[in-house]
Amino acid sequence: MLQVQAIEKYYGSKNNVTKALDRVSFDVEEGEFIAIMGASGSGKTTLLNCISTIDTVSAGHILLNGQDISKLPRQELARFRREKLGFVFQDFNLLDTLTLEENIGLALTINHMDPNLVRDRVQDVAMRLGIDDILEKFPTQVSGGQKQRAACARAIVAGQSLILADEPTGALDSRASKNLLEIMTKMNREMKATILMVTHDAYSASYASRVLFLKDGRLFNELLRGKRARSAVYHEILDVLGLLGGDISDVM
Amino acid sequence: MKSWMCWDCWGVTSVTLCKLSLRNARRQARDYLVYLVTVILSAALIHAFNGLVFSQELQALSPFMRSLPLITVLVSAVVIAIMGWLIRYITNFMLSRRSKELGTYILIGLENGQVARMFFLENLAVGALALLAGLLLGGLLFQILRAVTLSLFHVPYTFRLSVSPKAVTLTIAYFAVIYLLALRSCGKRLRRMQICDLLSYDRQGEEEMIRKSRSRRRVFTLSIASGILGTLLLLTGSLLFGIIGAALVIFFLYGFFLSFSSGVPAYFNARPGKKYGTHTLLVFRALSFKMGTMGMTMATIALLFTGTIISEGTGMLFGVLFQSRVEGTTCFDIFLGTTDGEPADFGPYLDYIEENISLRGSRQYRIYQGETRQITDYLLEHTDYYAYYSYDPLMAYSDYAALRAMLGYPEAPAEPGRYLIHCMAYLEDALEDYDTIVSVGGNALSPGNIYTESFSQKLWDGNGRGFLLVVPDECLVSRPVSHSVYGAMTAEPLSKADYERLADIHDGAGDDYGRGYAQDFYTLLAKDAVAREYASLSASTIFPLFYLALVLTLVSATILTVQQLSQGPRFARQFGLLEKLGMDRREMARTLRRQLAVYYAMPALPPLLISVPLLVAMGHSFEPGTIAGAWQLAGILGVTLGLFFLIYLLYILTAYSSLRRSVLPD
Repeated sequence: MLQVQAIEKYYGSKNNVTKALDRVSFDVEEGEFIAIMGASGSGKTTLLNCISTIDTVSAGHILLNGQDISKLPRQELARFRREKLGFVFQDFNLLDTLTLEENIGLALTINHMDPNLVRDRVQDVAMRLGIDDILEKFPTQVSGGQKQRAACARAIVAGQSLILADEPTGALDSRASKNLLEIMTKMNREMKATILMVTHDAYSASYASRVLFLKDGRLFNELLRGKRARSAVYHEILDVLGLLGGDISDVM
Repeated sequence: MKSWMCWDCWGVTSVTLCKLSLRNARRQARDYLVYLVTVILSAALIHAFNGLVFSQELQALSPFMRSLPLITVLVSAVVIAIMGWLIRYITNFMLSRRSKELGTYILIGLENGQVARMFFLENLAVGALALLAGLLLGGLLFQILRAVTLSLFHVPYTFRLSVSPKAVTLTIAYFAVIYLLALRSCGKRLRRMQICDLLSYDRQGEEEMIRKSRSRRRVFTLSIASGILGTLLLLTGSLLFGIIGAALVIFFLYGFFLSFSSGVPAYFNARPGKKYGTHTLLVFRALSFKMGTMGMTMATIALLFTGTIISEGTGMLFGVLFQSRVEGTTCFDIFLGTTDGEPADFGPYLDYIEENISLRGSRQYRIYQGETRQITDYLLEHTDYYAYYSYDPLMAYSDYAALRAMLGYPEAPAEPGRYLIHCMAYLEDALEDYDTIVSVGGNALSPGNIYTESFSQKLWDGNGRGFLLVVPDECLVSRPVSHSVYGAMTAEPLSKADYERLADIHDGAGDDYGRGYAQDFYTLLAKDAVAREYASLSASTIFPLFYLALVLTLVSATILTVQQLSQGPRFARQFGLLEKLGMDRREMARTLRRQLAVYYAMPALPPLLISVPLLVAMGHSFEPGTIAGAWQLAGILGVTLGLFFLIYLLYILTAYSSLRRSVLPD
């Protein structure tokens, strides 16, 4: 579904170049739940920004369903984002002035869906994610976990094929994190959502079917969950992080 | 060194803090440029009108100008109150925006008092800067007011730059009062606040006055009903109903804006199809959020806008009224009229005029009584004509032709077997449809041409009231005289001294009380004297009304714009998210435009709905003929709203371009 081919990303001026991504390549199959891990500054958010077309690559190609997104014109990029991509951010990125229902419905409005169908569609997705009883509330009136579930609902409500999650549990307590990760697993398994999640939390990454490790902008390792129990994968992730030599605070 | 001591005496004892304070003042001036410009413009307006208060030159133009200082000072008092509100509002607003920074100063060891003094000095520095610029600009603005006033009196204008120390002192005194009161209250608050209060102060918005959503919906419905009822009561023209109507309208404005944040979302919630239409969701939610956090301010601004449009419209209407009075009162440079049917003796006046005033032409003539009042009755039936005579007034063609020649009007050829009509413009359409024969002295005359030039037709002793019929001289041989008139055109504009002498004759010719009744000389009018009187009235009513309207517009638009610009970071977050979600840039620009358009339209729309019908009713309440027709009234409304929206639009465009740059950079 997604092919990342030798992408590079440089920042800075001629005399002071920082290489954020260095020939990173990997494929994502449809229905996969992939976690990208790495220490702070390893390039994981840059990678996500490039895939989400928020940022551009300096070299290489990103293909989604065979289409090179790095060559899309500006207007096409907007269409690509609204039709194909769903976003879940660390700080939720919900608009405080809209209710949860409206925040979720916003993705459909941007997609020019028939306004009469929006409410039913939102209700349907909200029910699956367990937030149908708080749809009339504003983001300031609900917990962080509920906000993030609303953000997840917004990310899939328009039938987006790829969900990009940037540290989705970063602002949640452990219980809310667990709930959210279970919701994301449900989205992946039952709603067939393909998820690409950036995280530096080993516990969160253990929910993924595959974990990619980045170090200094390069792909360092890859871990497949297979049939193993989540707890076993968790410990394996910690081992890899130990090899990566990242800060312990990034691991825990 | 001197400035250092000055700062020191305020208790800000560190050079770094002084520098910080000055830097903050500079930053404040940059961040709140719109506010600063408004304070400068308002200071300029206040100073210019203070110039009028103390201008001996302008007050000497006419005895009626003596009321100008009092009216200006009264209006200035209202302006000062509104300016005080603006400065207090913005100072509090700045305090909330900078509360974290001020809290940090206290956190690093400054005392509350020192921070309060620093905040005070910063604002005072900005205020002093605005005042200085305002004084300079106000001096120039005064020259414009002076030129306009002199032109009203047909006095040639010569540029003479002068500074009135009294006007400068008064302007400084006004500003000192405004700033000291606003900053004192802010300083008090700062002194009492704890660090934690300051660190969280920026999160506090305007409190919701009506907390329960259900109550808000009820108030919303009630306010709409009272707005409609109030406007209808205002239109009745009755004093009692007018007062009740005004109270209802005020209730409407506050009720509407305080309950809007519930009322409109409830409407959209019941109609999801409309809510999720393109742009609607973001636009109406942004608006209802704004209303929820600044409903009270919005209501006050709507009230001020209502005042603005009514002030401007009233000023325009008065302008037309005074112009119509000047043109309609008399077309002659000197006019004498009597209501007595006997031949008049204008002897004492004519003697004085012959000896002292050079004339281009003059004529003494009579107005005759018609045999019937059929045209008067016709007008009463078909127009809002107010009748004075119990007959249709007549004039001899020879007099008419001579008067037209004297007044410089084109010749009106005699039409055998016909009568001509000379009427005020507003009666022309009705009289064009009149086709009945009039009998005068045994002659049956059919309708001829109609003329509508200014012809002294507003008075009961002028050339008919509203209209007269011009008939062949021979028809009038046996007709009784209605009254006598003397009209003259002078070679030079009639001097004030000559008019006063004629007025002395007029007063002296009367009874012991100097009323002139006994000699039948009821009316003495001089075109220039009438024009001077109405010029004084214009200066003392229209100027203050526009002064008030301008300040109200500037203050209200500034508060709206400062509020909107302060939302820049929130807008940036919102549009950043929309971009990530894949909204097209053109659509984002459209959404931003709509959000701004609705935000600025909200406080302007209710005032429009209230003030436009009110101004129309006011225009209709003037004496018939003052406003020539619907097109003139539409023109007055157009200019009034055009002026208002021109200034308003400048603020809207400033906000839009600034937000567009920060939210949707190219």
